[in-house]
Amino acid sequence: MSAADLARLQFAATTGIHWLFVILTMGLVPLVAIMHTRAAYTRDPAKKAVRERMTRFWGQLYVINYAVGIVTGLVMEFQFGLSWSGLSKFAGNVFGAPLALETLIAFFAESTFLGMWIFGWGRMRRGVHVTLIWPVALTAYASGYWIMVANGFMQHPVGYEVRDGAAYLTDFGALLTNSSALIALFHIALAALTTGGVFIAGVSAYHFLRRTKETELFRGSLRLGLWVAMVTSFFVVIVGEMQRPVIERTQPMKDAVLENSGVAEVQAQLVREHGPGDYVPWQDTMRISMDAMTIIGNTVSTITFIAVILLWKSWLTRWRPALWVLVAMVPFPFIASVGGWVVREVGRQPWLVYGELTVENALSHVSTAALAVSCTVFIAVFLALAVTNWTLITRFALRGPDATQLGATEPLPEDLPSGPGGGSDEKQPVPAF
Amino acid sequence: MSLETAWLALLGLLLAGYFVLGGYDYGVQMLHPFLGGREGKGKEKETGQGGGGGSAALDAIAPFFLGNEVWLVAFAGVLFGAFPHLEGTLLSGLYPLIVAILVGLVTGNAAIQLRRRSRSARGRRRWDVLIVCGGALPALCWGLVVGLLLHGVPRRADGSFYIGPGDIFSPFTLACGVTTMLLFAAHGAAFVALRSEPRLGVEARHLGALLLRGAGAAGSLALLLTLFGAGASMTNRPTSAVIAALFAAALAGAWWFLTRGHNVLAFAATCCATALPVLLVGAGHYPYLLISSAGAGLTVDHAVTDGATLKILSAFGVLVIPVILAYQSWSWWAFRGRTGLRHPSYF
Repeated sequence: MSAADLARLQFAATTGIHWLFVILTMGLVPLVAIMHTRAAYTRDPAKKAVRERMTRFWGQLYVINYAVGIVTGLVMEFQFGLSWSGLSKFAGNVFGAPLALETLIAFFAESTFLGMWIFGWGRMRRGVHVTLIWPVALTAYASGYWIMVANGFMQHPVGYEVRDGAAYLTDFGALLTNSSALIALFHIALAALTTGGVFIAGVSAYHFLRRTKETELFRGSLRLGLWVAMVTSFFVVIVGEMQRPVIERTQPMKDAVLENSGVAEVQAQLVREHGPGDYVPWQDTMRISMDAMTIIGNTVSTITFIAVILLWKSWLTRWRPALWVLVAMVPFPFIASVGGWVVREVGRQPWLVYGELTVENALSHVSTAALAVSCTVFIAVFLALAVTNWTLITRFALRGPDATQLGATEPLPEDLPSGPGGGSDEKQPVPAF
Repeated sequence: MSLETAWLALLGLLLAGYFVLGGYDYGVQMLHPFLGGREGKGKEKETGQGGGGGSAALDAIAPFFLGNEVWLVAFAGVLFGAFPHLEGTLLSGLYPLIVAILVGLVTGNAAIQLRRRSRSARGRRRWDVLIVCGGALPALCWGLVVGLLLHGVPRRADGSFYIGPGDIFSPFTLACGVTTMLLFAAHGAAFVALRSEPRLGVEARHLGALLLRGAGAAGSLALLLTLFGAGASMTNRPTSAVIAALFAAALAGAWWFLTRGHNVLAFAATCCATALPVLLVGAGHYPYLLISSAGAGLTVDHAVTDGATLKILSAFGVLVIPVILAYQSWSWWAFRGRTGLRHPSYF
């Protein structure tokens, strides 16, 4: 493999795996926030207890997934500089700004508030604690927005001019309202909510199959998951289709491959415009991914629609085959989302910034040996993390709310010490276990 | 102050903040098996809330952990946004070290967050190994990076560079690496002394004082090498000498306060000691960001992004930076006080 292939594989593998964590994080966090808020505003103590347990159970699964998402995201932040220094040389003046703003505006707040939310159970006042999860949810989507602005610039560069071989920002507003960014953001937000909804519905269905005693908790979860998945999966297909005119206008080759017509003509045209070269991305991979995404999107939409109807008079929870279908459906939104990522990113090849900079030309001066080592290590670590993540999520999901560790507070002694810091003569704390 | 300088100061603040906050995380990670963990004491219930097998030292950093690591990400983001021409050169040039840091961070961070999800003591011990390595590797490698930046890197005619084993394994760079690793460990011990229950705090204080002596010895070696011309080649010598003296004073002060049991002052001193290397790299070489030798290299003006972009970033920065500092301070305030009381132990 050449250095470019290795760098490409490293970027594709790490981004692709990171994306699987991201989509579940984005799908779960708003639902956890809704659950937590509902619990906070419930008066009836019995119902309140159920809703709080519900928040902690789903919150636990969300936090496990977030842990792996954040560490893989850490790597992403450095990837451009590591392997693709040509990108910062050409587009640093434009491309760096959204990434910087993403970290400062969104990621910083998301992580800090999540840390406070995790450790705030039983320690912070209820109202304050519930409020903490909302900035976490909002900044998750704000992160998505800035990343899509950066990615949108790669797909369809706008708001810049090239002087002496480097891009300069001329219209920040155009960068922020790039249609290649906004519609895609809308699409992935809906896809994430579909994933989260299907996940919650599937896990709840499993517990009904196991004849859970927590019927109230899982009935509420099932209803929420299904409604969210039904509504968002309907619109995810529509918004997905809305991207086609944008692609047709901005990325003729991607469009030609997806339509499976006129590839040769576009290739000839691109050679005339940009000089000799192969401008055709992997056609079969793209078409298979596109088909997988479309079929899964429509199927999920149909199944959740039927399932929502079956919620009436609890038909759904009494009819076991339907519950099995919901359990089996859990992995499919993930597959579809990878398909969407492949269509978008493989379809961009061979460009890094469409029409301006090719992937080959952006490669850093890094030795092939170093790339081979780092590629192997990163892929091994990321795969191990993915397996660990899904093993843990499955385990905690199947064990049910009793095994939840999130928000388990230590026994509260009557004599709380006063004041921060505390001297060394402070009373010994009560051992936790 | 020009915008470039302001953004350089912000970049320095983020990196120094990361060294201080991430520094004690890594220190506690390295030390936690040696600091009175509850592991193995008493039979743990496999079911039930809370699980078992917590570590008292890890409990100390737990609520801050997620908020600390983002300082690095913000540093990387601002590096890309405001200094893109430094970003590409620096990260690709330091490729092996950055990859090592990232691998350490990924495994260490994941291990801290997932350790308690493990059912068996054996599983947790495996995570413990990763936690220790995930603290030691970034700590050592950041020290090596600081050493390389102080010494200068082999820049080529086109401005790019690529470090090899010969650059990393020079005595000065290694001395810097070891100093930083021991310093971060001592810093972690000082944090545990400050925040854990008193019995563990005493243990941490003794360990911290010992580590500080080690850091002082390694740091002296780096200084000696510099004086003999085989170490740092500073552009601004008087400034560098002052910062180095402050660093030495911070180390000595931290040791003094730890042995006397003044936890707050000791932690303040180790905070200064972990932040000062960043100031040394920045102010010692100003206006150069990346030198090949004293007084030659990539300057701020060449590294900074275009003026139009910088203005836009500044408009956001003026609003966002105070907010960030406010909610970070709030999280420190909300989880002040020693661990053990009303602290859900989750990690």
